[in-house]
Amino acid sequence: MHFLGREISSPLVLASGILGISFSSLQRVISEGAGMVTTKSLSLEPRAGHEGPILAEFEGGMINSVGLTNPGIEEGLLEVEKYHESCDAPVIVSIFGGSQQDFVKLAERVNDSVGDFLELNLSCPNVEDEFKRPFALDIDKVVDMVSTVKQVSELPVLPKLSPNALDLAEIASAAEQAGADGLTLINTLGHGMVVDAIAGRPVLKNNFGGISGPCIKPLAIKLINDVYQAVSIPIIGTGGVTTGLDAVEMMMAGAAVVSIGTAVYYRGVTAFTHIKAELDDFMRQQDYQHYEDLIGVLEMNP
Amino acid sequence: MMFREMPLTLPVSRIRKENDTLRTFYFDQPLPANPGQFIMVNIHGVGEKPFSLLTAGIKGFAFTAKRLGPFTQALFNLDVGEKLAIRGAFGQGFTVTGKKILMVGGGYATPPLHYLAQQIRRDSIEQLVIVNGARSAADLLYVEEFETVADVYHSATDDGSTGFHGTAVDCMQELMKDQDFDQVYVSGPELMSAAAVQVLNKMDLPYEVCLERYMKCGVGVCGSCVMDPTGLVLCMEGPVLKKEHLQPVTDFGHFHRDKTGCVHSF
Repeated sequence: MHFLGREISSPLVLASGILGISFSSLQRVISEGAGMVTTKSLSLEPRAGHEGPILAEFEGGMINSVGLTNPGIEEGLLEVEKYHESCDAPVIVSIFGGSQQDFVKLAERVNDSVGDFLELNLSCPNVEDEFKRPFALDIDKVVDMVSTVKQVSELPVLPKLSPNALDLAEIASAAEQAGADGLTLINTLGHGMVVDAIAGRPVLKNNFGGISGPCIKPLAIKLINDVYQAVSIPIIGTGGVTTGLDAVEMMMAGAAVVSIGTAVYYRGVTAFTHIKAELDDFMRQQDYQHYEDLIGVLEMNP
Repeated sequence: MMFREMPLTLPVSRIRKENDTLRTFYFDQPLPANPGQFIMVNIHGVGEKPFSLLTAGIKGFAFTAKRLGPFTQALFNLDVGEKLAIRGAFGQGFTVTGKKILMVGGGYATPPLHYLAQQIRRDSIEQLVIVNGARSAADLLYVEEFETVADVYHSATDDGSTGFHGTAVDCMQELMKDQDFDQVYVSGPELMSAAAVQVLNKMDLPYEVCLERYMKCGVGVCGSCVMDPTGLVLCMEGPVLKKEHLQPVTDFGHFHRDKTGCVHSF
């Protein structure tokens, strides 16, 4: 199948923030059945992220407050270079900064790399104390950011949007008009909080974190479908996909490809192998020839 | 597939002072685990770090910490009865196998061997030899326990203040001159373990090594502990690696990543 003109072997994508520090983990995810990978969101300088615990499970998923741990753009792009020495599958370089100037500097740096796509992480909920309200919640800021980055970026630009925005379809549509080549949605939901009842304290050191996993899947699917109706650029769908059938649901709702993160917690690195096998089984049983045939076929009840 | 894995918030039941910079924290709560596995220890409001289990089972569990930074300083300020939140046990531990067993440990990386030595059923093996290395006599840990469980026990000190004068690996090589082993377990500072592995590869002996990397989530998600070039996720697929899984890992003995993911040489 194809995504923005690039041939990919499967519609499964490694989501940003999961595993993606080292070239070898990115390559391993491809060998497990992913068609593309996303790096951790890279900032101008290395970031240690938040102190642990950074992750807490609950019945429907997990909350995390990793806090954008990453080795910085220079080291991060070195890993992308090593990755491409022996692996052709496209890399989405995710970038993150505190200001528009940061994003521009990062995008210019990525121009000189072997990265394939540029994801703008405008929606991380875990660094508000440091960087204020995420850009993705404000339609004007999204438009401004996308059009400015588009002026400098030589790679296709994919803003990553937040489910916390009330008018997500409107923001998505404005991003398209501002020049976005595709969209990634949704980032983690909330903040949520999980309480350690014995201690009488939140489990996370950061107290709260973004919600991910199966519980956000129905919300992701609805929002992806809303956005699919509103735009004509491809959507990287993400949010709680844990099985092959989840991926089918999300693609039917309008995702061109499906990004996987929290499933790695439930099913290990082999999540990609399992999800791909389940997806392929579904295709065979239901007589779908190509992955593309699933995209947006959802028929709403009258 | 879906389960709720909450941290266990438990009071410390006993604290043992090992030396000036090392203390062992005991808990009465049963914890199912295997030697080599680790736990994540959270001091509420301070942070969370991984620790190898010194012992675990129906009667409780324990870990040893060295005072290194703010987290371990906060740990050392705790009294018996104060609570810590524990996640785990995580990862793959040692497999108990072999009849003529050699354990080689160094510094404060020996808790996994301590736990393993307790678990080996004495009637199922012919001999257990333990080499315990440290800079000097004052830095040697668990000497009494090792002496009790081993058929033959050797301390090795860099300064010769007690036992064999030299490293644990030097001592191991001396022993191997006139003794055969069919299984070797190694747990030490990485450069010590790498030196041991070099010797063991030449001798074509089966071995397992307990490794250490920066670990943040403990459940295979954050990527901090991934090892190149195989993408091995150490917190899930280690920290104990068998010979065949360790051999392709070129990072071993050479590179590790810090808390941001930047690569450093040892």
